[in-house]
This record gives sequence, C-alpha cells and structure tokens, in this order.
Amino acid sequence: MTAPLTHLQSMMLFALIISLAFGTLGRRRPSERLKYAAWSFLLFLLIGIAIGWLMYPFSR
Amino acid sequence: MEEPAFEQPQSETPAAQVDTLVLARDDEHRKFIALLVGVAGWAVPGLGHALQKMWGRALAVFLAVGALVMLGAGMRGNLFTSRGDDAFATLGYLADLGSGSFYWVARSFETAGPDVSHSSGDYGTRFLATAGVLNLLAALHAYEAARGRKA
Repeated sequence: MTAPLTHLQSMMLFALIISLAFGTLGRRRPSERLKYAAWSFLLFLLIGIAIGWLMYPFSR
Repeated sequence: MEEPAFEQPQSETPAAQVDTLVLARDDEHRKFIALLVGVAGWAVPGLGHALQKMWGRALAVFLAVGALVMLGAGMRGNLFTSRGDDAFATLGYLADLGSGSFYWVARSFETAGPDVSHSSGDYGTRFLATAGVLNLLAALHAYEAARGRKA
C-alpha cells in the first residue's frame, strides 16, 4: 500500500494528527483543546513552510 | 536556673509517627501504581489514560499513535530494528519502540519492507518515529497524572 501524498499533504496530515493529540493532552476544556490544537496546527504549517523557504537557496 | 534560649523540638507522639508511616507507605504505593500506569500506557497507546478513566485522552492517544503507525507503515517507512549499524539507527529503533505493541503491529503491516527511495517512504519513517515519541510523551503524562501532579 502506497499513500500517494505530496510533501504539503504529508506535512498537513502530520501537523493535524500531532496538533489534535497535543491539544487533547495539554488542555482540559474542549474549547481550550480546540484553540490549542488550531494554534499548534497553524504554527506547524507556518514554521514548516518558513524552514522550507529558508532552505530553498541551498537546494540548487 | 536559666531557661534555654530556644525551645527544644519535641519528639513526635506515637500517633503522629504512625500517621507519617502510613503516609509514606501510601506514597510508595501510589508511586508503584503510577509506574504500572506509565508502563501500561507505553505498552498499549492510551491504556494509561483509560485506566484513570480519562476516556477522551485515551481515545485521542490511541487514534493519533495508531494513525501515525498505519500511515508510516503504509508509506513504507523504515522501521528500525535492534541490529542498527550506527547511532542514528539505534536512536531510530528507540523512537520506534516507543509506540509499544504498535511497533509489532507496524512490522506485521510492512510485509514488503521499507522503501525510502521515494519521499513518501522518508515521510513514513518520520511518521513511525513520531508515533513512538508521542506515545512516550502520553505515557509520561499518564504517569504524572497518576502521581497526582497534573491531569
């Protein structure tokens, strides 16, 4: 079985699963969990894309 | 005859000594139970929280670790073994082993072996390692909760 995922899709899937787990483990109330997970997901994506662009000049 | 400058500490009454002993024994007992909970949480993702009736967290850990393991194995990520050649392979093995029983579940799914010649295989390796590390974090959280430190 091969999952035909692009780099971005893989990263988003990874970030989503980890963020939901972090939110559930790190906070008690459902609203706080959701907020924490959303922030975590957003930061995963932003930092991941930023690091990708930082590495871009060295990739060629 | 002069009074002593400082009041001498009085020795504990027998009842207080018994209370102290009981408290110490309870603490030791609690530590042992917490250790069992932590080990259970490592062996089966989410079990540490389920034993403490933290159903939401138990389900979240089980699903998150399970999803990462299934995706990682499906992407044909590298599942390290104990026969690693270098430090990175050993570290990878320790991370993979963090997912407890799911390590062997992943092995049973990856019948064709790893394929890191494509990017998806490389991502799969990270998914598998992250599953292990996340499960270790969850087991530690369950241990701390059982000790009464946080929940």
